[in-house]
Amino acid sequence: MEERKAAIVGEIPGLRRYARALLRNRDAADDLVQDCLERALLKLDGWRTGESPRQWLFTIMHHLFVDQMRRKGRRGEAALLPLDHDEALSAPATQLGDAASREVLESLDAIAPERKAALLLVAVEGFSYAEASLILGVPAGTLMSRIARGREELRALLDDAGRRRRIRVVEP
Amino acid sequence: MNGRSFHERDLHLALDGELPAEERAAFQAWLETNPELQARYRRYEADAALLREGLAEITREPVPARLLRAASGERRQNPSPRRRSWQAAAAVAILALGLSGGYLAGRAGLGQGEPAMMQMADRAIMAHNVYAAEKLHVVEVAADQKAHLDGWLSKRIGLPLAAPDLRGHGFELLGGRLLPAGAGMAAQFMYQDRSGNRLSLYVTSEQTKGETGFRLAEEDGTRAYYWLDDRYGCAVAGKVPEAALLDVAKSVYEQLMEGTRT
Repeated sequence: MEERKAAIVGEIPGLRRYARALLRNRDAADDLVQDCLERALLKLDGWRTGESPRQWLFTIMHHLFVDQMRRKGRRGEAALLPLDHDEALSAPATQLGDAASREVLESLDAIAPERKAALLLVAVEGFSYAEASLILGVPAGTLMSRIARGREELRALLDDAGRRRRIRVVEP
Repeated sequence: MNGRSFHERDLHLALDGELPAEERAAFQAWLETNPELQARYRRYEADAALLREGLAEITREPVPARLLRAASGERRQNPSPRRRSWQAAAAVAILALGLSGGYLAGRAGLGQGEPAMMQMADRAIMAHNVYAAEKLHVVEVAADQKAHLDGWLSKRIGLPLAAPDLRGHGFELLGGRLLPAGAGMAAQFMYQDRSGNRLSLYVTSEQTKGETGFRLAEEDGTRAYYWLDDRYGCAVAGKVPEAALLDVAKSVYEQLMEGTRT
């Protein structure tokens, strides 16, 4: 049991990175990670030894994220909720040093969540297509098309950001 | 050399380490002969590196004590106030889904195969997800002004349109609205069954006069059957079983065809 808990602790940095990239707000992301960890601890017996703790934890977190999105969507509350949190959400997520990092994260924000999630799991978290498919609960073909489109969107968004930057520089 | 030919999708397989080891040399050789794809490959690689660098900082932060406590099995005292914060952020993410859909719709070069049709299906699904979730403002013009609704949308889309009757499938017309769609516009008719399930019909005026069969697209639990029929680009979308949705799609197709002949 203690070994399992230690394995879970080892995955926290990756979980925080993924949650922060999805939600951008630091506190909100850590809240999601905390919910995930609490859920994981309750289900510790359900974790088969030999199974990657990483994939298991990311799956739990993804379910929490999606359930919440769906529930909000169905009740039509999406438009109402963010109001009281407006300030917190628009605050910069991290004190990121250079402009290029900030630009790529801002561009990431404009990508549809399901494509963003697919791209992040594979290109940042290093999951295989098979693992990412299981985490997201989509067929491999869907995952691939999300990754391809997500990459293409990111490229276009970064081009736009670069163009805006050049325009700013040129202006007197 | 087994003579396997490579395609655009192999760029992604290679980038994500999904290309079998024995194919890598052939892939690199193929890439050498395609300067355009090679440039794209390198660009994707560079973007991914930027992304990893941008996010690396987070993994170097000390792990907050509350997360360590959670991982050690310590239970929280009162979960409710905290819980709300990431849910709000998740809600913003759904809004972003709708917004980025509209934003990206104007871009060229997205998607492969039949990009225009796939884009239309994507937009239909996004529009469905945005407006089917609405309680108060689900439509702009309600079904009790059907004649006005049909006339208005026909005029704006530039195609004769009449909201199909789907009562035979258990769906009652709620009304409709006009939506931006890339360079043009789209009409959306919203329907609802007795248990509150919603289904929408999305129609755009397309340049092509061709015809396609019914295609299925699915995104996040919402599915859409879409087709092109003589300038009518149509999609029916909803969280409805495939078979039922296909029946609706066929009925819509027939009714729109009849409508254009009268």
